[in-house]
Amino acid sequence: MIQKEKLLLIIQREYMTRLKSKIFIVSTILAPVVMILLLVLPAVIQTMSGDRVRQFLVYDETGIIGTEMVASDSAYYRMAENTPDELRESLMRGEIEGYLVVPHEVLDGQGKAVFYHGGTAGMSVTSRIRSDLQQIVRNIRLDRIEASEEVKQILADRVQTENLTITAEGEEAADSGFYMFLGFIMGFIIYGAMFGYGAVIMRSVMEEKTSRIVEVIASSVRPFELLMGKVIGVALLGLTQFAIWAVAGALLMVAAGPVISLFMGSGPETAQAAEAASDVAAFSIPPIGPMIWIGFVLFFLLGFLIYSSLFAAVGSAVDQESDSQQLQLPIIMLIIIPLMFLFPVSDDPASTLAVTLSMVPFFAPILMPVRMAVLQVPLWQFGLTIVLMIMTFVVLIWMSSRIYRTGILMYGKKASFRELWRWVREK
Amino acid sequence: MSDSIVEFEGVTKQFGDFRAVDNVSFDVNQGRIFGLLGPNGAGKTTSIRMLTYILKPDSGSIRLFGTPVGSETQARLGYLPEERGLYKKMKVGEQLIYLCRLRGLTRQDARQRIRLWLERFDAYGWIGKEVGELSKGMQQKIQFVATIAHDPDCLIFDEPFSGLDPINSEMLKEVILELRDAGKTIFFATHRMEQVEQLCDDIALFHNGKLILNGNLDQIRSSYGHNSIRLRFTGDSRFLSELQNVRINNRSTNFAEIRLLDGADDQAILSQAQQHVRVQGFELVQPSIQEIFIDSVSGEVQG
Repeated sequence: MIQKEKLLLIIQREYMTRLKSKIFIVSTILAPVVMILLLVLPAVIQTMSGDRVRQFLVYDETGIIGTEMVASDSAYYRMAENTPDELRESLMRGEIEGYLVVPHEVLDGQGKAVFYHGGTAGMSVTSRIRSDLQQIVRNIRLDRIEASEEVKQILADRVQTENLTITAEGEEAADSGFYMFLGFIMGFIIYGAMFGYGAVIMRSVMEEKTSRIVEVIASSVRPFELLMGKVIGVALLGLTQFAIWAVAGALLMVAAGPVISLFMGSGPETAQAAEAASDVAAFSIPPIGPMIWIGFVLFFLLGFLIYSSLFAAVGSAVDQESDSQQLQLPIIMLIIIPLMFLFPVSDDPASTLAVTLSMVPFFAPILMPVRMAVLQVPLWQFGLTIVLMIMTFVVLIWMSSRIYRTGILMYGKKASFRELWRWVREK
Repeated sequence: MSDSIVEFEGVTKQFGDFRAVDNVSFDVNQGRIFGLLGPNGAGKTTSIRMLTYILKPDSGSIRLFGTPVGSETQARLGYLPEERGLYKKMKVGEQLIYLCRLRGLTRQDARQRIRLWLERFDAYGWIGKEVGELSKGMQQKIQFVATIAHDPDCLIFDEPFSGLDPINSEMLKEVILELRDAGKTIFFATHRMEQVEQLCDDIALFHNGKLILNGNLDQIRSSYGHNSIRLRFTGDSRFLSELQNVRINNRSTNFAEIRLLDGADDQAILSQAQQHVRVQGFELVQPSIQEIFIDSVSGEVQG
């Protein structure tokens, strides 16, 4: 029934005109840049703000801790020469950024050191002061009982831990934290793609309708072919964009590894930073199995097909984008719901909730890749979900093409859900 | 019957409670310009959409070139809808090639034919421009080329002259007549009656979804006899309103078309006119299409 040459022509046009469009080129370049910025910017900002000269006063009752602290970093710590009350006054006047009061009992493992600041000390400052203080107090106390260097070393040592997942084939996969992160990223990418490409389809239908070319096209091809051509053309466009990102990403990884370790290796100042730096230095991306890639592409495609047929129906039922909001609402809800379950599902991917939700065709595009990243999804779940999604798509595209068929020739009025339903049932 | 290109047989199309086309039957012969007439909403566009297989009739059948309309007949049609439109962001050349190929031409053939027509319309220089950059009139020409470039056997023009300046209108008219002479069958939908008189061989008159008049234009007109007066005059035209048993059409400051109804006498009208104005022309003629249209519609209402 479908005329293949015409379908191919339509796919080709939809694909080529968009591939050459400014929006595609800009979004292909910009999306990863924005993503990288979002990931890197906090670190950069922290590094930059770290350049600011910060100094905190230590009011020391023990007569030894303060000296040790100043000795560890004399730019960061300075002995207080005033009473706590006076320090408080000057803090309120903004003359100092913060001060630490260390009582006697601290050396006996009691009491507590209090850090006062004007609200400007962030996480990194408080955690650094805590860790410096901890280390100094520990060493002083160990010295007092004349503990050996060995004991000191034992206490300073960190226990190395590692997570390994063993698959049914007996393969070991490292670092579930990474896979959880990967699942999140994939879920978000698909989520963005559903919206982004859904809007592309919707606008493309609306453009043909408002520019009135659709009647000429409809006199040459069946509306179903036009709709399918559009959906397939834009799906290919999406895959192209992913392929570009994947290749660029792989090249970037190869190039960036040494750069990152160089950058991070340039003088860590705190225990945390040192730890992070050593992590990065040893950082190599754990292997991402082929199933994860296949799952990602497959669920992106099927999800796109399902949602784009819905968006196309909306586009054909309205004349302008502002009218589309009411009709779009249920679609948007369907896309957002799985996002809310992203965390519970990745946290416990084998739970009944996770399994059930990830198999619902409307939620699967986002939730299934998340599960697949974290654990090995049983084959029957994978297969059944795919079958359910294909069936959903067939039903939806059939309904959409019926709405589309009528909608593209209707001008000047906004269709209600009831009317859409009537269009579906019409002969 | 043998050279019927288009056959409508008892075609009905309903939208909800509204019967857009109501049991319509007619034939169109090859090489004719067939006028689809009627006011807005009479059923012209719906009939065309069924002929182009955009819509399907609820009942009845439509045959084109001897076969029922379908995807195969679409390739042999050229359709210029009343609501014009092209892809704004696409270049003229690419767009025309795309539209031709959708109708089954190869890329090479399409390119050749498009070049031919664009040159004919002095538009070849626009081939690399985006449609959105062109003026409205230019876009109209491009759209016209898009309709005819794939060399269809049957052409459908829905209000082709709307929005065109006189020079381009003349040019279009010339091309339409040329296509007819080349053996193409042409549908021409309009509610502008004077264009019908200039172009159409046969007509079908629609009113409220029904076909109320169909046939050869000359025959229809002569069947009405010479019962209209074309009067040219100078002076005060108010006397026209006082004439009995007539219907006045196309009235202007120095011209009127006077349709004689039962009991009206042309000579009496002439002498009446002479009393009020200087008569410069007085001619007994066949009724205009507009007159026939009004006649048919009011007859429909009474019947």
